[in-house]
Amino acid sequence: MSPPAVLQVMLLVWGTLVGLDLVSVPQAMIARPIVAGPIAGAILGDVATGLQLGVLFELFQYDILPVGAVRYPEYGPATIAAVSAAHAGAGTLGFGLGAVVGLITAMAGGASLQVIRRLNTRAVHRAAAALETGEPRVLARLHIAGILRDAARAAVVTALGLALAQLARDYLVGTVWSRGRVLLSVAAVGVALAAGTAGTLRLVGRGPGLRWFAAGLVGGAAVVWLR
Amino acid sequence: MTTPARPPLGRSLLRLFTVQGSWNYERMQGIGMGVAEQPLIRDLDGNGTAYHAAVARAAHFFNAHPYLCGLAVGATARAEHDGVPPQQVERLRTALCGPLGALGDRLVWAGWLPLTSGLALIGVALGLGLWAIFGFLIVYNIGHVALRWWALRAGWAYGGQVATALREPVLQRAATLSAPAMALVAGVALPLVVHYLTGGFLSWTRAVLAVVAAGGFVLLRWQRARLTGLRFGLVLLALAALIGWFWQ
Repeated sequence: MSPPAVLQVMLLVWGTLVGLDLVSVPQAMIARPIVAGPIAGAILGDVATGLQLGVLFELFQYDILPVGAVRYPEYGPATIAAVSAAHAGAGTLGFGLGAVVGLITAMAGGASLQVIRRLNTRAVHRAAAALETGEPRVLARLHIAGILRDAARAAVVTALGLALAQLARDYLVGTVWSRGRVLLSVAAVGVALAAGTAGTLRLVGRGPGLRWFAAGLVGGAAVVWLR
Repeated sequence: MTTPARPPLGRSLLRLFTVQGSWNYERMQGIGMGVAEQPLIRDLDGNGTAYHAAVARAAHFFNAHPYLCGLAVGATARAEHDGVPPQQVERLRTALCGPLGALGDRLVWAGWLPLTSGLALIGVALGLGLWAIFGFLIVYNIGHVALRWWALRAGWAYGGQVATALREPVLQRAATLSAPAMALVAGVALPLVVHYLTGGFLSWTRAVLAVVAAGGFVLLRWQRARLTGLRFGLVLLALAALIGWFWQ
């Protein structure tokens, strides 16, 4: 079952804002999957799926340290697409399908960031002489054009993700067999846990941070046991 | 040269929220820096030669942590007002790139952000739902906006002596404390998240999950230069779909 057109438009707008937030404006972290997913879920009236996929992709996000000109996947719009795909196939099937759609969208989002950076570089290169005159209008024009380019990029990536989600809903929900559903979900959660733990340990390092991390693990396990 | 008594720091701060809007491989954050610095140097030399030369300098290559760019914007704008020679202003900008990048990465990307997002994960796993998400956005952005505002004000206050601002005890203490706090929260979050995500799994799938997660972790650590979570995820999901198809 596809969400109504008005909800699709709302998801597209939300995805565009999320995509803009990642690098351009204002880096308030609405681009984090843990935010993008649950809000997408709320738009679709399915906060639980949004929260689950938000947590799943947040673990993938831990695998990334966005320093300098490093290349990385874009998990914000990807999580929105994943929630849209998972919403239709409730339960375990939705989870696995959402992960597939989300990871493909994340890869496309990462590639689109490189395209925008190259387009910005070309624009700046063309305006090099004008920039050296110190004319503020030249600066403003280049800057606003860059932001608009990024907004268009974010919209295209979200639209692509939502289209993939639509395809998954139309062609896979009724045809994916029960063991396949379970395996997809297990693979998605397993990789997310592996990526999240590996990324976190890269941040923590080998020094005293590792002891704090171990202490936290014991505390977290105790909370799980007590619940 | 005259220094304005009430510089338009608010306008500059608003523009700093877009500092990476025109990020490119040639000047990186340079264009955004120029846009953010422009309100602070607008009254230089009655909008004449000095002003245009300062705007052109402000848009040159710059790359640092986006939340701390304000420190360089404030410092160079103040230096322009104080009549510091152009070559020295350029040197100041260049000298700030490395320290601001390293400090911001340590303080925010490897500290404040994973710390607060880890708290959000804990909140969701404990059943707080959307409240955990709103809490994350509010708490994270209090730190975010405070850091941006502090950086811009400190840059303007210290000007050419801005290196002093980077040695402020509060900043050093925050950088020192954020790493262990982040590690502790991440450690607490992990078992809770595992429990939250595997709640609906059957016992045999939990065993498979443990093998996938442990194997994946070892592989990602061992091949970390080549293998990313994304690539590994795509390969494994394709494999899972294939196995599921044969095993109907």
